[in-house]
Amino acid sequence: MSEPQPLEPTPAPSYVSGGTADLVPADAEILQTGPRPGGRGPSGPDPSAVPEERARSLWSDAWHDLRRNPVFLVSGFVILFLVAIALWPAAITSGNPLDCDLARAQQGSRPGHPFGFNGQGCDVYTRTVYGARTSVTVGVCATLGVAVLGSVLGGLAGYFGGVGDSVLSRITDVFFAIPVVLGGLVLLSVVTSSTVWPVIGFMVLLGWPQISRIARGSVITARQNDYVQAARALGASHTRVLLRHITPNAIAPVIVVATIALGTYIALEATLSYLGVGLKPPSVSWGIDISAASPYIRNAPHALLWPSGALAVTVLAFIMLGDAVRDALDPKLR
Amino acid sequence: MLLEVRDLHVEFRTRDGVARAVNGVTYGVDAGETLAVLGESGSGKSVTAQAIMGILDTPPGRITGGEILFQGRDLLKLREDERRKVRGAEMAMIFQDALSSLNPVLTVGDQLGEMFVVHRGMSRKDARTKAVELMDRVRIPGAAARVRDYPHQFSGGMRQRIMIAMALALEPALIIADEPTTALDVTVQAQVMDLLAELQRELTMGLVLITHDLGVVADVADRIAVMYAGRIVETAPVHDLYKAPAHPYTRGLLDSIPRLDQKGRELYAIKGLPPSLTSIPPGCAFHPRCTTARDLCRTDVPPLHEVTGERGSACHFWTECLHG
Repeated sequence: MSEPQPLEPTPAPSYVSGGTADLVPADAEILQTGPRPGGRGPSGPDPSAVPEERARSLWSDAWHDLRRNPVFLVSGFVILFLVAIALWPAAITSGNPLDCDLARAQQGSRPGHPFGFNGQGCDVYTRTVYGARTSVTVGVCATLGVAVLGSVLGGLAGYFGGVGDSVLSRITDVFFAIPVVLGGLVLLSVVTSSTVWPVIGFMVLLGWPQISRIARGSVITARQNDYVQAARALGASHTRVLLRHITPNAIAPVIVVATIALGTYIALEATLSYLGVGLKPPSVSWGIDISAASPYIRNAPHALLWPSGALAVTVLAFIMLGDAVRDALDPKLR
Repeated sequence: MLLEVRDLHVEFRTRDGVARAVNGVTYGVDAGETLAVLGESGSGKSVTAQAIMGILDTPPGRITGGEILFQGRDLLKLREDERRKVRGAEMAMIFQDALSSLNPVLTVGDQLGEMFVVHRGMSRKDARTKAVELMDRVRIPGAAARVRDYPHQFSGGMRQRIMIAMALALEPALIIADEPTTALDVTVQAQVMDLLAELQRELTMGLVLITHDLGVVADVADRIAVMYAGRIVETAPVHDLYKAPAHPYTRGLLDSIPRLDQKGRELYAIKGLPPSLTSIPPGCAFHPRCTTARDLCRTDVPPLHEVTGERGSACHFWTECLHG
């Protein structure tokens, strides 16, 4: 397999009895004591031996690590809570986020309304709870879109190479050159829809090149493995090689980056909404509320602090989750 | 002839120019025969094998000429989907490093069974049963229990047995083994070679054994083809070649083998380095390192002269080499 690589300085004929012994770099025993528990003795010559612990696959090994990681437990708990209130906001608030009364504008906390009221007289607690739904929807949908589009395009480009790969690489360069906020101001200012979909579409459009690059790189690494060549030599088709041999070995970095990106998409949605090009009222979004409350920061700081705090905690939770997943799946990236 | 490679040319486009990795290789293997392809790194032996299997990376590699006849068909003229049916089912390959040649995230049972799923359309359950049979056949102890283990849980020799089992799964007519024992320690080397030779006899397969280990060759090969800079420089039945090499390069290789009666003395080594494949010397590629090179060697590429019916030597002065 090493034919095109640098040549060895001298021919390597050896003892008729096999003089390569001391040249053998990695002895079986050394490899055997390998990275994970669950393996058995060096050659496992005893057929009656029963393994004490079943060997774990990559995924169950990662799960085993994650369960013991406090960072994962804390962020996972926060995210579960967020997802729950995004799905069932009525469970913890009986109010309506659009039920506003100017008479209550900027009033402080009082029984039944723990976070007080904003400049429009809407209940800050209810709006903060409902804002989670928008953030989680945008974050999850944008991440899914980016991950699917980016890894399919990048993965195919990395696997097949050639002209398609060169073209795709240049396209990703072009997208990388677009500043996200400026792009958002230009593209989203022409959108009149007040739903989350134009924002998600915009994030997918600008986000896929990041994942595409990572997927491309990790597929190129994976396809150079001998077992990919071995699979081809044993008659596996491209589809089969891609799905069974490359994907499981190349997907970890994509998952890691996508998880971390999820938090940044939530922040980006708030940024765009703050600038007035993201979601628009009557949508409920932390970005919109932060934007609306910022002129009154001296009179009614609570109207700014609660949605900002919720945003910060959410973004932090996803980034921490991403870190934990990275440590579990791909410690080399640390 | 089961497999006949005729005048094969392969080149790689690199930044430093075109690397001519294979320059007119011709060899053949019969059913039940073992051909050892001997050569140092960069001599083109693995690239030839990849071209035969059809797993050459193109680009940067390119087959620029020649024929590969397998059971009478020219493989280079087949469509990709037809070739894929040949790979694995009719010819298979064993790689050097069994650890990196097995997918670390799949159990060995899954990987062995894959052969039957891909080529025979078997269900995964039947394929699993077949995988256990195969592991028994290559004498992996406790096969039924170990079929769910991952490659890293096996020792080097056991992993190479699994590679052999994968290659033999569909009882192909031809096996190409690319330095199958280089990554193993000496005692395991012998076991693995014995196993391979035994299974080859049982199934009367043709075996192309790529190696740079003269020791392995002497034990198992019927014939030897020695490669240098992408060409066959000598081909001969194994005992004839050891008795009297007909090419200065082969002679140099044999002289470099350490011998017990020369204990304590400096080892012989062929002087100089193998040529860069982007600038192969004109004439005989070996002439800059050859102790008997003359003017003719610097200008004319030697053809493969017939020494006897079964032997050939690509040296202008093979008679001198053979007798002196």
